[in-house]
Amino acid sequence: MEIGTMLKALQDPMGIPFYPVVFQALMVLTFALHIMFVNFTLGTSFLSVYGYLKGGENWTRLSRSLARATTVNISVAMLLGVAPLLFVQVVYDPFWYASNMLSAAWVIGFIFIMMLAYSLTYVFYLKRDHKTGGGFAIFGIIAFALFLLSGIIMHALGYQLLQPEKWLNWYTKGNFIDTSGTSLHAFQLPRFLHFIIPSFAMTGIFLMLYAWYFKNRADFDKGYLEWVGKTGAKMAFIFTAIQAVVGFWWLFSLPAGFSFFTNPFFLIGAALGIALLVFLYNAQKDPVKYAVPGVLGAFLTIFGMSYAREALRMKYLGRFDYSIFNYKLNIDWGSTALFLATFVMGLAIIGYLLSVAYKSGRVAGEYVSTPSMNKWGKISIALLLIWIVVVAGLGIVISVRNYL
Amino acid sequence: MYPIWEVPNLSAGIVLALMATFHILPSHLSVSAIWFNVYVETKAYRENRPELLEFIKKYSLLLLVFSYVLGSLSGIGIWYSATVANPRGISGLIHNYVWGWATEWVFFIIEVIGIFIYYYTLGKVDKKTHLKIGWIFAIGSWTTMVIIVGILAFMLSSGKWPETGNFFDGFFNQTYWSQLLMRTTLMFGIAAAYAIAVATRIKNADVRAFITKTASRWGIAGLILGSILFLWYLKTLPDANRMLITVLAPQGLKTGIIVSSGVLVLYFIYANVKPLGIRLVPAILAIAVLFGGIWSTERIREMIRKPYIISQYMYSNQIIGKDVIAKGVSAEAKIINEKGILKFAPFVPDGLREINEGNQVQVGKMIALIECSSCHVFDEKGLRAMPQMVKRLGFKEAEAVEGFLDGLGGYPYMPPFVGTAAERKALATYLVSLNK
Ligand code: HEC
Ligand code: HEM
Repeated sequence: MEIGTMLKALQDPMGIPFYPVVFQALMVLTFALHIMFVNFTLGTSFLSVYGYLKGGENWTRLSRSLARATTVNISVAMLLGVAPLLFVQVVYDPFWYASNMLSAAWVIGFIFIMMLAYSLTYVFYLKRDHKTGGGFAIFGIIAFALFLLSGIIMHALGYQLLQPEKWLNWYTKGNFIDTSGTSLHAFQLPRFLHFIIPSFAMTGIFLMLYAWYFKNRADFDKGYLEWVGKTGAKMAFIFTAIQAVVGFWWLFSLPAGFSFFTNPFFLIGAALGIALLVFLYNAQKDPVKYAVPGVLGAFLTIFGMSYAREALRMKYLGRFDYSIFNYKLNIDWGSTALFLATFVMGLAIIGYLLSVAYKSGRVAGEYVSTPSMNKWGKISIALLLIWIVVVAGLGIVISVRNYL
Repeated sequence: MYPIWEVPNLSAGIVLALMATFHILPSHLSVSAIWFNVYVETKAYRENRPELLEFIKKYSLLLLVFSYVLGSLSGIGIWYSATVANPRGISGLIHNYVWGWATEWVFFIIEVIGIFIYYYTLGKVDKKTHLKIGWIFAIGSWTTMVIIVGILAFMLSSGKWPETGNFFDGFFNQTYWSQLLMRTTLMFGIAAAYAIAVATRIKNADVRAFITKTASRWGIAGLILGSILFLWYLKTLPDANRMLITVLAPQGLKTGIIVSSGVLVLYFIYANVKPLGIRLVPAILAIAVLFGGIWSTERIREMIRKPYIISQYMYSNQIIGKDVIAKGVSAEAKIINEKGILKFAPFVPDGLREINEGNQVQVGKMIALIECSSCHVFDEKGLRAMPQMVKRLGFKEAEAVEGFLDGLGGYPYMPPFVGTAAERKALATYLVSLNK
């Protein structure tokens, strides 16, 4: 079967319920958020082990904080991974499912690897005390290695997906087919590294944020925080520089026919990356001051790079005349409105929750809400109740119409 | 049609069932426990009983680690295993319900951020604020159930959707309300079983007795109401599916439901009378019994969906069985019968696309993989092992088997065979070859 025809045949006949550009934008945005927290996870997980093994007052203390941070980071990374997981299946279903099926055992393995890694992370955080020796680090080391393995699986799935011309060869051997799903078929080192190296840069920025966040807490030692900030700024700069090199390596390893170096998405992404590097160079003097703009700038860079990654995918798949913009449409305004309204409402509520966390962490004792915070809380609860009333009301109307 | 994943003896479908079953324990806990928590916390503040907070702390740590580490990962695991068990099925769901899932995702974020903050700020923020977080978490997490039940129920009973193609017609289908209310009431029973287990770890005897007594009342009420709603749920099922309960569901599963609810009611009554008499091991056993009950119900729900993966639309073997005119989708039987399944499916080796004398059995196996492997394995033993089926019916001659294949759709739980006459012959030849 001709590949372009095959891809058309694989597309879901139901079509998609809204314009593809919206799914694409949501996919890229949530992927950027996902990969940022993947970076925080890998980096804090690595550094918490490093600090534990290195010892000394500062590193031990930092290691503990980072181990705790890893448990949160991995949760958030997963949470934010769910959204691109959904959206990629909407517009790239032929590719996503074919790639998953060809490595199905790994897809399932991924879940168990993550469960194990996650549990070990908790062990490494909750079970340590002054009596645990160097051998205890093994929990953290294995957790980190498993996180890395998860990344390898993710990367292989994402890269296999780009090569429909090879699928049938991976699946069949003569007249026999391989239904075991036990192989990962494709791996591209520079691409993989381009997602992994930033872990250390981002964790550098994470440390700068840490120093900034706790700077007014009386129970935090000034010297310690200063050390954390400086270490972070240094890491952020060095690894961003390495990342730029890896980026060019990846660029030059792409098929020449793509001429990706003239792609506007790539150019914007690369410009943001260089700007970030300059910014981080300046940040060395006063990491605390640069922390918040630093993380915003870094996110912007990641977002730009994620769009470049998407543009690259369009290049790969354009070879077979596949474009998400030709996807059959079955516009469904009702459910689109439901999501958009819920999303906006969710931001308000999530904003409230995060503000409580942010404010309570900045004081050493009990945090007492201000009247405006209290109001925000009440509004959040009211919004949730209104949501339920509206949706249930809709449901009752529909059920009465359809079944009574 | 995508490549196929075979799991020796088990089938990808069973991997999915195991994952889904495993997911039940943490996920139902996550929706229900916080309601109990908020109730106890409110009491603690109102009646000035700070000692109750020890329970809150323990119960929410269980929630955080167990529900949100294993619960959310196994939730993603269900999705992944559904993907590799039935990619076209999950694709069909997603292409209709993507905004439903995206909406669910918003609440999922509220839930996960909620539990972290609820746990880590206990005693570090003022009481009112902490309770607010609890309420947000509780309502938000129940809302995830409001949404997911719509999609789950849709797979079994798609309501008016096949005619209208409308999101909400499929969502608020004939089994939606009965299932939502049943799951909601049962969820309190689950919260109660866990709470009693956590209470056994509390040192203060007053607190322990109080928690156990309260929980047992929640448990009894939840189970009794839940059982009544379960009967209503059975009534709302479409006739064809209800009939399959009699035809397909093993007696063991049905007994499992009745016995486990009976045992649990007795357990809760005992807990109410002698709250301090319950220790950790029996409390965990009670959770296991509960698990057995839920497992039986969920397995039956899966079974009676046959032969469809999405009710009135797509068969379990990923072939579209019915038109959905509103969405411009046509059934595939006609085109496959004309062109042949080997030409229709993309992932077929070139040497098997044309049938000749030499490749009959191989082609037959290929067809069987595409059309039968979602429900049968081809090993000697395992899930509805095809060799056993073939031996049971004593298949000896390809011609007779061709007749059997013609009537396949006559079974209430199997999709019809689709393909050309030559393909049917090849499949029959392969099936006969299994009978040795
Ligand atoms: C939707 C799931 C499903 C699909 C797809 C399916 N079957 Fe079945 N099949 C069943 C179930 C359920 C049974 C009953 C099992 C039992 O009785 O233990 C069954 C039983 C059988 C039997 C034994 C029938 C009897 O009367 O005892 C044969 C033979 C069989 N299937 C062949 C096939 C073939 C060949 C295909 C592919 C063309 C196929 N099945 C596809 C679900 C399915
Ligand atoms: C620590 C664990 C994880 C790591 C290290 C990791 C790493 C990665 C990497 C490196 C990529 C980019 C691959 C590439 O394009 O080459 C990626 C993409 C992705 N990840 Fe993760 N990930 C993790 C967990 C998760 C989880 C739990 C989910 C699901 C909930 C998820 C969902 C996704 C999705 C949907 C993509 C995008 C696929 C695409 O657009 O092609 N990830 N991840």
